[in-house]
Amino acid sequence: MDNVAGFTDTELMICAAARVLEDRKTVFVGWGIPQVVALLAEKLYAPNLVQVFEFGAIGPQSLTPFVRGTMGGPSNIYRSLQWTNMNWAFSYAATGYLDYGMIGAIQVDAYGNVNSTLLGGTYDRPGRRFPGSGGGNEVASLCWKTIVVLKHEPRRFVQRLDFMTSPGYLTGPRARERAGLPRGTGPYRVVTSQAVFGFDEETKQMLLLGVLRGLTKDQVIRGMSFEPMVAEKVEIVEPPTQEELRVLREEIDPARTIIG
Amino acid sequence: MRVLASGAGLCRWIHPDDFREWVRVHKSREPVEKLVTEHEAVSRCVADGDYVAYDFSSLTRGPQALVREIIRQHKRNLWICAEFTLHDSSLLVGAGCVDRIDVGFLGYGNYIGRAVVEGRVQVFEWTNGALAFRMLAGARGVPFMPMRNLLGTDTFLQSGAKVVEDPFGGDAICLVPAMNPDVFLVHVHQADVYGNARIFGTNLFALEGAMASKKVIVSAEEIIEPLEFRKEPAKTTIPYFLVSAVVHLPFGAYPGGVPGRYELDVEHVQQLNGIETEEHMQAYLDSCVYSVRNHAEFLGRRVGWKRLAGVARRALIKEGYG
Repeated sequence: MDNVAGFTDTELMICAAARVLEDRKTVFVGWGIPQVVALLAEKLYAPNLVQVFEFGAIGPQSLTPFVRGTMGGPSNIYRSLQWTNMNWAFSYAATGYLDYGMIGAIQVDAYGNVNSTLLGGTYDRPGRRFPGSGGGNEVASLCWKTIVVLKHEPRRFVQRLDFMTSPGYLTGPRARERAGLPRGTGPYRVVTSQAVFGFDEETKQMLLLGVLRGLTKDQVIRGMSFEPMVAEKVEIVEPPTQEELRVLREEIDPARTIIG
Repeated sequence: MRVLASGAGLCRWIHPDDFREWVRVHKSREPVEKLVTEHEAVSRCVADGDYVAYDFSSLTRGPQALVREIIRQHKRNLWICAEFTLHDSSLLVGAGCVDRIDVGFLGYGNYIGRAVVEGRVQVFEWTNGALAFRMLAGARGVPFMPMRNLLGTDTFLQSGAKVVEDPFGGDAICLVPAMNPDVFLVHVHQADVYGNARIFGTNLFALEGAMASKKVIVSAEEIIEPLEFRKEPAKTTIPYFLVSAVVHLPFGAYPGGVPGRYELDVEHVQQLNGIETEEHMQAYLDSCVYSVRNHAEFLGRRVGWKRLAGVARRALIKEGYG
């Protein structure tokens, strides 16, 4: 439900991420929150955004309201440019046609590496087990610019991931290329419920670019378990606008399955 | 070719020539009628210890009725390819049918996560794309496929993939082993009695899976005349000689939907996703699987035709599904 500010953490993440996407570009959309981000972007900022889904829908004009879990359902794949299958969908990413990729995470580290597999314990006997990569590893490896969307919590911004499901900049400069990942790819933005991060060109470490209006840099950094680099000029991330909230709540997710 | 790194995971792999031999001997090119009941199809095609894969997802055109039949027949020690699995991996593990899972996407909800934590099921880490690519390799008759992801991650380390030096460019590249499942399950919009099949909408790897697998069960919403395929061959997804058995199962994806035919039953799906405890799981399996003889009885006695008419009525989007 709404906090005192009048919007939920998830609503802020969705709105801030939607503002990152550019019109007339392609984006590989992961499951859950990224689907809602892409819908909001399409309705308000990027009407010609071409959304690509791992289940083989290329450029659908998805109908709203969004129904959770309908990956590949008729409202999800409505009026696509092409219906195909998973191997072709990922091939568009592998050949460089996809400008952006967007995924969620349970943990992220300073290089933008992502965990969506487990917490605690060992691989064979984890403390908690989550769904795993899904298509997240493909998205983070193959799209030009990856956007990671997650809540701003110390347990999520960690020094060391419990498991590295999908690659960010791995161990630093040139590590992706050395590993064999496509040249010039990698995490581009990390959008949270309090801030927006980019990555430092030289060190490939997370760089604080903007903080939510009303918060200080220090407050944002205290919400993380590692210290990010800080941009020379830190921008203000505006809270969700009335229009963003109206579209989100009335058109996209009236059942509040994603926005909470 | 220099191997730079190997993942620690096990994987089921057979030599492409052994698969070709299987196709030559067992996958008959004779156009014979293959229409059978789900009981017959599963008892004939699925054996304990088999590797089973399926298309598409729990909620969209998944072979849910065939999965329930596998559970009803108490198949054991299956190894499944889990991708877009929301609740079926949970049901198969809850029923004691599955003890190994190749993970693209493990499943949704606490039940399946806890089964991994408690060691009741062994998982092997892949990605959705890697599993689909493995299936493509199996369908292309090659022992592996090169791909430019999995690289650099723990996902790779727990998979059965390898990193080698690309003999052309010299970079590190990931090789994933071909997948040739023992059984492939696919639920389609239309099929004929020989096994020709049509899917409308998108898919994971319907054709690849049918080509790459030793035994293929097609369940269909509708059985149509063979001549219909020849009139519009561009609509054929799977030709008959890939298929072992055809089952006519209207509402065969329930509680998921089939695009253009019926929508998913949100309430029933929520009931499934909400399963957390063992009692809850066994109560569901008793009610919806063990205590009914077949799919028709499940639909008639547990779901009700009125409810089914409701999900069919809600399938308002028809474009592209003709």
